[in-house]
Amino acid sequence: MLRKLTPYLFVAPLMVFIALFTYIPIFASLNLSFREWNFLSPDMPFVGFRNYEQLLASRDLWNSLWVTTLFAVLSVPLRLGLALVIAAYLVRETVHVRLLRGALFLPSVTSTVSIAVVFSWVFSTDYGMVNAILGTFGLGKVQWLQNPHLALWVLIFVNTWKQIGYDIVIYIAGLQAIPRELYDAAAVDGGKRLHVFRRITMPLVMPTTYFLLVISVIEAFQVFTIVNVMTHGGPAGATDMLVNLLYEIGFVLFDIGRGSALAVLLFILLVGLAILKSRIIGRKVHYEA
Amino acid sequence: MSQKLQTTIAASMIALLASMGVAEAATTVKFWHSFNKSNGEALDKVIAGFEAANPDIDIEAEYVGNYNDIIAKLQAAIPARRAPDAVILEVTRYGLFANNNLLTDLTPYFDADPLKDDLYDYAREVGVIDGKNYVVPFNSSTPVLYFNKDIFARAGLSADTPLKTFDEITAAAKTISEKLGSEGVSGIAAPGQFARWGLVMANDSEMVDPKTGEILLDKPNTIEAYQWMASLVKDDKVSSPDGVTDEDNGRDAFLAKKVGIMMNSTGNYVGAKKALGDNLAVRPMPCNKACSVPIGGAGIGIMSTSEKDVQDAAYKFISYAASPEANATWFAGTGYLPINKKSAALPVAKEALATQPGIDVAIESLPVAHGRARTTVVTWMRTTEYKMWEAMALGQRNVEETMKDFAAQTRAEEKRVSN
Amino acid sequence: MKPENPILAGLALVAGLLFLSPVLYSIWMSFQTVDAYYAGELGFTLDNYARAVGQYNFARYLLNSLIVSGLVTLLGITFATMAAYAFARYSFRGGNFLFAATVATLMIPSHISLIPNYLTLAKVGLLDSYAGLILPAISNGFAAFFLRQYIRGIPKALDEAAYMDGATSLQVLWRIIVPLSRPAIASMALYIFITEWNNYIWPLVAVGKQDLYTLQIGLARLYRINPGEGLIDWPLVMAASTITILPVLLGFLLVERHLVRGITMGAVK
Repeated sequence: MLRKLTPYLFVAPLMVFIALFTYIPIFASLNLSFREWNFLSPDMPFVGFRNYEQLLASRDLWNSLWVTTLFAVLSVPLRLGLALVIAAYLVRETVHVRLLRGALFLPSVTSTVSIAVVFSWVFSTDYGMVNAILGTFGLGKVQWLQNPHLALWVLIFVNTWKQIGYDIVIYIAGLQAIPRELYDAAAVDGGKRLHVFRRITMPLVMPTTYFLLVISVIEAFQVFTIVNVMTHGGPAGATDMLVNLLYEIGFVLFDIGRGSALAVLLFILLVGLAILKSRIIGRKVHYEA
Repeated sequence: MSQKLQTTIAASMIALLASMGVAEAATTVKFWHSFNKSNGEALDKVIAGFEAANPDIDIEAEYVGNYNDIIAKLQAAIPARRAPDAVILEVTRYGLFANNNLLTDLTPYFDADPLKDDLYDYAREVGVIDGKNYVVPFNSSTPVLYFNKDIFARAGLSADTPLKTFDEITAAAKTISEKLGSEGVSGIAAPGQFARWGLVMANDSEMVDPKTGEILLDKPNTIEAYQWMASLVKDDKVSSPDGVTDEDNGRDAFLAKKVGIMMNSTGNYVGAKKALGDNLAVRPMPCNKACSVPIGGAGIGIMSTSEKDVQDAAYKFISYAASPEANATWFAGTGYLPINKKSAALPVAKEALATQPGIDVAIESLPVAHGRARTTVVTWMRTTEYKMWEAMALGQRNVEETMKDFAAQTRAEEKRVSN
Repeated sequence: MKPENPILAGLALVAGLLFLSPVLYSIWMSFQTVDAYYAGELGFTLDNYARAVGQYNFARYLLNSLIVSGLVTLLGITFATMAAYAFARYSFRGGNFLFAATVATLMIPSHISLIPNYLTLAKVGLLDSYAGLILPAISNGFAAFFLRQYIRGIPKALDEAAYMDGATSLQVLWRIIVPLSRPAIASMALYIFITEWNNYIWPLVAVGKQDLYTLQIGLARLYRINPGEGLIDWPLVMAASTITILPVLLGFLLVERHLVRGITMGAVK
């Protein structure tokens, strides 16, 4: 009897917490998304799909979807492209390569708030590092974070700076799994470096690329900390990414119904992306084993 | 020997009992407020004065952030049952809490308090909704126009330059930006939300009708005022966008002598005086189409969720904070308006009036000062206004179209919160 | 390893420093006085640290971050290891379903639970407590999944030999599985710790009392309220930022290899 119970006892603590803080909240959000509540009133009337209708009719949601998509579409290829090139250089095991790898990897494990604060200074108008550097070339001050056309680029830059070390490390692992003989064969054939990179390296790290592509897209849809610290979604909504909008609706305007409706939409979107990921990866990953 | 021992024991017993007695009588009032820096120091003095006079009450004060932060944190605190006992609430945004029965009606306290007759009408009025008194004013203010005389002189402007109309202000700001732009000095700080409201009133309009609650965001004069404000940033470029995305930035730049003109609450007077010294000049707000300024600032409310004895203690504090002594200290330490008729006669206030030129500008504009709407939707409107203003001032959206959209959204929201 | 080319090594060093220059500069700035900073002069002071720790309570925030991240790691890795062991070694009714439910948490965005978790913890009065910060972060589906894969690679014969000697399943877990999975457990523990250390949105909404702020919340708030009259007191903010970075930075230097191995093991699965 006890023997039969053993596995359940082992999984119980984890399962209880997963149920309490991951699965039950999904249903709670769904329930709240059909209600009208602001934390203050004692009752929360059922309003049907009204929150969804209002959300889908609002300028803010579409702006936010657009900004988030833009962020993903611009930042992900940039990150992956740069990471692959750098990884191809850093794949060799020498002391200086290890040091450089360490330096590049460091930001990805460092506090995002710290990085956001440091880069708020770097890009600040009057005393920032970037404008000071531009100044030495005789260029004028740029309002990086106050200009709606630039702020998103700044966030993309900061996010890339922070995350690229992770991508590089993953790529290096992927590259190291490529058999040396392939390169040796290519060298015998007199392949040029660029040619080898395009014909051998790129296709063979495809599985890694897919993996990184999907996780970084999903990550892009969940960016919040740098937005909250650096721009609050501004200027004029130019960096109002989805999770920031969720936070603003839920914990600044306290429109709990509409906030929950947005959470549900975000959930559907991301689970959709994740399913797409498993499909793609399931189909395209042949090389890995 | 044994007698001595007995006496000692008896004495310590008495001391112990006495200390327990005190411990039991002490009431702690959790108080959230919005004052830091020099205003925070002035508040500390007021609290210290109260605690000295009421040793059985302990005020546990916490600086929460600006008015927006307080509103957000208070709203989040309700389901978590972690609201404070007393809280500073901005005078247009407590309706949300009052109308959800979260604030105690202070009318019974107030009616029994001699303080009632000492408060100026303008100050008392802002705490009332539908005849019920929810907050007692603490830091009342109006916006004023500050400028830096040194910057004016360097730009070749006399200290008497007229700054009555929008055009006159634009002209002065342009001169400063042209002459001193290369030194990193800009003409005028982008107006913060309180000043924006004031400028709408100076253009003979309102955001929300204070009597009927009608939303006036799309009235031609309101739109015109916003067009002018936005033009300072996007067309004339005499205001830095830094002050648009974070309005405190505009004030900080003025204090750092990087900006010539700033329209802001009179509550910034003492801080500005410390930073600028004799170069600080103060004028009334412009009268573009009308001379009318909003009464701003905040009062202290008591949460209905607190225990009765804590509420009583909190009211004692509120009453003390509005007393002539406390109010005079506060006025002299910050520049906020005197709310008590007797404060101005006290030495500390007299000295401030005599030695701090300009601290009285706000007092003199009181005849044209008006209370504003405080309906439930105002909280939402003010939170949303920031985003709208950014879009207009940074040239992302057409002003007229944005204000019409904003008005429509606010009306929809009002309908939502009222049913 | 190949012999070093000194020129390349020098270039790599410069590139690394350049890449990290914003952070390095911020650390340097934290030792300047605010006046010297704005005047563009050089100085040295520890005053910013004294103020961050004293006046602005960062010692307390550091302690809070250590307690919260430490307990989340301890409980999280314990629960994940136990579950991973069961998933790897037992076949039981509902086991596949539970495992699928565990893996599926990887796809679920944590933000959907933000409002409900806030309300749940509000209802039981646990907001503004360490428990409120810790409990929602304990379950880690990724760690459980990862460790399960790892444990499956350990020969079952070892377990069976122990059972023959009369060991209980708990003893097998503790004496055989845990020691043999040490590298995997260490990487997962690190991963959990770093994730929790840098956690932002949950403590942002869950904590109202300043005494319970974690470093992330304390730093974001310090930056937001703009300490200093007039211009922002960047040196003070950077001292606080350095305090926030430092523990992870030091930890990083000690365990970089583990970390990298853990991350790559997770990715190339």
